[in-house]
Amino acid sequence: MTDEEAELLIEQVAGAWRPAADDELHYHKAWHDLDAAGRTRAFDLARALRPLEAALDPDGLSTTARAVLARIPRR
Amino acid sequence: MDHDVFLHAIVAGDASAFGGWMARAEPTVRLSLRSFAAVIDVEAVLQEALLRVWQVAPRFVPDGKPNGLLRLGIRIGRNLAVSELRRTKARPTEALDLEAAHAESEPEITPPDPMLRRHIANCRDKLPAKPREAFDARLSSAGADDDDALAAGLNMRLNTFLQNFTRARKLLADCLKRAGVVLDEELGT
Repeated sequence: MTDEEAELLIEQVAGAWRPAADDELHYHKAWHDLDAAGRTRAFDLARALRPLEAALDPDGLSTTARAVLARIPRR
Repeated sequence: MDHDVFLHAIVAGDASAFGGWMARAEPTVRLSLRSFAAVIDVEAVLQEALLRVWQVAPRFVPDGKPNGLLRLGIRIGRNLAVSELRRTKARPTEALDLEAAHAESEPEITPPDPMLRRHIANCRDKLPAKPREAFDARLSSAGADDDDALAAGLNMRLNTFLQNFTRARKLLADCLKRAGVVLDEELGT
């Protein structure tokens, strides 16, 4: 894998989209193609991106928080 | 600030209040999982942990100390992460000291900075068209669509979409740096 290919995988894994979960967690498919350093870099990139997203959201929510809200059934 | 101010409304089923709590708690819960980042998909674990906080909140009994719900979220996240390590035992875990991960001190609570909003919006408005399209598509989708779908929606190939997104965040980082805004260095690398 070239550095550029790895960077594109990291960019995907740093996003908030994950396959719909049922009984067990579903990882991003690109996560499995990354080595430990790439996975850690994806984590750090996500951590850097979320406050930026939240600052642009009218309710101050990151894409992670929005994804969670979309999954909650109304009580 | 004690984020438990949202607790009564959350228990009453107020999803907006839960959003308010997440806006403040998410960075701390995420950071508490960093030691697992090389061996589990933290984003998936984090979202599940936050969802479980919502699910168990009606049964949560505060211990009188501040941020009980946040501490519960951190505990749920770490327990989930450890369960994931056990479930996926075929994956390499020897580099991770589970005890150390569990014993890691709870991170500080960092409130969101409202002053950032204007600078970030200004810099976003200056992005070239294609990078901005990619960046906005991720924001609008809010985790509902994968990058393949977002790219298709913009008539881009996946790699083109991702390259545009990378360019967008680097340009944002440069713009914010020029405006004197100190950001996580990861954003611009």
